[in-house]
Amino acid sequence: MLFLGAAEQGLIYGLMALGVYLSFRVLAFPDLSVDGTFPLGAAVAGILILRGVNPFWAALAGGGAGFLAGALTGVLATRLRIPGLLAGVLTMIMLYSLNLRIMGRPNLALLGKPSVLSGLAQALSLPRGYGNLVASGIFCFIAAVLLLLFLHTELGAAMRASGQNPTLVRALGTNPANLQILGLALSNGLVALSGALVAQYAGFADVGMGVGTIVAGLASVIVGELLLRPRSLLGAISAVIVGSVVYRMAISVALRYGAALGFTASDLRLVTALVVLGALAAPALRAALKGEGS
Amino acid sequence: MILEVLKVTKTFSLGAERVVALDNLDLLLAEGDFATVIGSNGAGKTTLLNVIAGACRPDRGRIKLAGRDVTRWPAHRRAHLVGRVFQDPLQGTASHMTVAENLALAAKKGARGLAPLLTRRKRRALSEVLATLGMDLEKRLSEKVAHLSGGERQALTVLMAILTKPKLLLLDEHTAALDPANAEKVLAITERLVAEHSITTLMVTHRMDQALQVGNRLIMMHKGRILLDLGLEEKRALKVEDLVGLFRRVGVSDDALLLGEGLAFAGGARQ
Repeated sequence: MLFLGAAEQGLIYGLMALGVYLSFRVLAFPDLSVDGTFPLGAAVAGILILRGVNPFWAALAGGGAGFLAGALTGVLATRLRIPGLLAGVLTMIMLYSLNLRIMGRPNLALLGKPSVLSGLAQALSLPRGYGNLVASGIFCFIAAVLLLLFLHTELGAAMRASGQNPTLVRALGTNPANLQILGLALSNGLVALSGALVAQYAGFADVGMGVGTIVAGLASVIVGELLLRPRSLLGAISAVIVGSVVYRMAISVALRYGAALGFTASDLRLVTALVVLGALAAPALRAALKGEGS
Repeated sequence: MILEVLKVTKTFSLGAERVVALDNLDLLLAEGDFATVIGSNGAGKTTLLNVIAGACRPDRGRIKLAGRDVTRWPAHRRAHLVGRVFQDPLQGTASHMTVAENLALAAKKGARGLAPLLTRRKRRALSEVLATLGMDLEKRLSEKVAHLSGGERQALTVLMAILTKPKLLLLDEHTAALDPANAEKVLAITERLVAEHSITTLMVTHRMDQALQVGNRLIMMHKGRILLDLGLEEKRALKVEDLVGLFRRVGVSDDALLLGEGLAFAGGARQ
């Protein structure tokens, strides 16, 4: 079952894609700290599981660590006025060292340890073979619904407004800096939770597992938008998850059949980056083709 | 006094040059005052509004709102006392959100919690408020603001700015980017809402006819100072030609004035 594993991964990584959607689309902040917060979630959850903590609480602790790291990026970007991209890179680099410290070594083996996914599958006595799929679907669904509800609250709506028009939010009596800090914290909380679940799913946590997280997240967001062309928030959030699943499926197909074309697994990130590049450049390329180039 | 601007000085550096935008300026607005502000480009009109709203901090002097010294308050804190409408209709709304969402955000300033932004009850209340504009916008609550015309957006922005009944309303050439018909409409709505809620208002305009016709005070600025501060009676006696004459006398070139006169569209052409 080539697509079963891809669908499972798409749903677990879907949490990460939701986080990237929150920073990139809602806050209009290209946040690179996710490359560090994804393995942070995995590292925190991994070390706690090895110490015997329940995998559910371990995953939540991983998400909480990501929340704090995201808030740090927000503080750097707003209170200390460091340009957004650089603020993300700084957090990411700090986390690389911190993740090594948390784990004590470059990677942790979690095979055979309890996982929240298999635990949930057992608790609900889900059919064998589809347990992970349903369990990861439940996690992804809950996160998506909570995010959707949040974006419809007073606070969440102010966050949406601040991404496009911080002047307006200020004129309405709210400090957009606080919204940005909270938004980045939530975003990285989701990303780290995703990392914690991926570690439990894959059976290991690795200090290098975050490389390219931002690009994979953007690819999911963009692929989903291209496929569903959402007009509402519900549509946009559904599109992120659909995009994440489709993206993982495309990768598994590429890994399976790409070899025939001379691709290897190590070419994956190049291909992903080219997909994102193409999607982001599409409007400019289209304009240039029509002769309106700048 | 609703607004007290006390000996405020603000300078900017343009390269090596120092530009004095506000020069030891004093201005008092009493409750219910509606003052129009005119002046050539660079007279300091927008800087005056920025200093009052908290978008920039004066080098010297103090700002008081409703008796409170707000000189060191950040803009978002002053927003509880001050509503502001900009020239550009894009600046006053979140265009990717719906009419109802924009209004609901404006209906509650400051602290925002996890209560739903819109409920059926809130929608009904907002739709009643929108109906007072007389633009049929209450039928378009769920439409994105991006789909509204410039005039509709600016009318919505005025409504949003006064929804929480601020002590002071700042209008920064808010009809300059609109075509003449819409500019008239938005100005009429502004006058009506300001009168209904008796909100003290400071309106910057490029149109001298507008400045004479609207409000109970006229303030003329030049090089960061207030040259003229006329009450209702003196204002009624004045004509546009008189104002042009005054500007000439203080040495404002006709070029700057023609630009500044804002013949309907001039505001949109300025950057």
